[in-house]
Amino acid sequence: MQEKHKKSFITVRDLYKACAESIHLEIINSECSFGCEIHEKDLNRPGLALGGFVEVFTYSRVQIMGNTEVGYLNTLQGEERIQAISKVFSFNLPCVVITDNNTPPMGLIEIANQKGVTLFRTPLSTTTVTHYLSEYLESVFAVVDIIHGSLVDVYGVGMLILGESAIGKSELALDLIERGHQLVADDVVSLIRVGLNNLQGEPNDVLAHYMEVRGLGIIDIRRMFGIRAIRGRKTIAVVLRLENWDEEAEYERIGVDDQTIEILNVKLPLVRLPILPGKNLTVIAEAVALNQKLKQFGVHSAREFNEALIAKMKNEGQT
Amino acid sequence: MITKTLKIKNKLGIHARPAGQIVKTSSRFSASIYLSKNGNEVNAKSIMGVLMLEAGYGSEIILRIDGEDEFEALRALEELIDKNQFGEE
Repeated sequence: MQEKHKKSFITVRDLYKACAESIHLEIINSECSFGCEIHEKDLNRPGLALGGFVEVFTYSRVQIMGNTEVGYLNTLQGEERIQAISKVFSFNLPCVVITDNNTPPMGLIEIANQKGVTLFRTPLSTTTVTHYLSEYLESVFAVVDIIHGSLVDVYGVGMLILGESAIGKSELALDLIERGHQLVADDVVSLIRVGLNNLQGEPNDVLAHYMEVRGLGIIDIRRMFGIRAIRGRKTIAVVLRLENWDEEAEYERIGVDDQTIEILNVKLPLVRLPILPGKNLTVIAEAVALNQKLKQFGVHSAREFNEALIAKMKNEGQT
Repeated sequence: MITKTLKIKNKLGIHARPAGQIVKTSSRFSASIYLSKNGNEVNAKSIMGVLMLEAGYGSEIILRIDGEDEFEALRALEELIDKNQFGEE
């Protein structure tokens, strides 16, 4: 399946607006095209390209010029330096960030002006700037999707509730809110994958913290329960799937082996919960969250129980 | 009603996985199924009950089955516990 990204591109203007204040970007040339598009989340240091090796030059990325690049260019003599810079700028660069408050080598500003490439400068180190920009671009180009379900923060554990329509996802979410847990999103959860294995969910802009309850209509959770009852983006830690009771299906009885589900290529712990009349789903959902939290803290109840039992049986067999 | 004594032949005894298999197999039948060891009798359809037996390697458990499909249930449980040793060593 083709992965969808939050944005397919941003402009240099977007990058400047979002990052200028945090990493103290100043624009040091006059002819810069702010409309230039950035399509990649990765950064590039043009060191070797300045040295003349441009065969695998990833020119379409944001270029970071640190002490190495500036220092190298300063060792070159007049015409040599102009040629090195011109060669790199003959590619379509989106923008260049000079770090550590380096003074731009002679000729750089003029060539950038001719090509209309924005030159930024920051007092921060290359490492700091790289981390900051990577994180920003990672979030901008994050893999996104939407999923039908509810996301609730239960005791700090992000719980994604899935299941067929009308199985009671919203009702369970409402019950959890009533018991003091926080709603992230109901019915439609916007998913964002950050990095390789962090899946986060947030409410859709329009739906916000409104919720539809069958028989009642649309209600405003924020007004009804107050600001305490809602929260923004939350990392999903466990998936609870509500299922109609099926006599043929097998449900987990022990929990020694953990089940998982893959969403946007992220593997998440899965708990399948059969719906039966008279079952208190809310209490079970809370127990699922607490058990997940224990696992995160290294306590696997089912496995510990089993190991203790096996050890005891072994001991008794010897005596 | 039928009863049958079986010996536990897998090294780890009835730990979580075998207990799960016993419960799963037993639950397929409508008959009442009980397991006992040292005079303690538990429902074979209850995980915690089966685990409580602490039936280790070499121990003997008594199966007691009562119901319409008792023979089918006995056959299935014998196969699981005696013949297949829960698929373990």
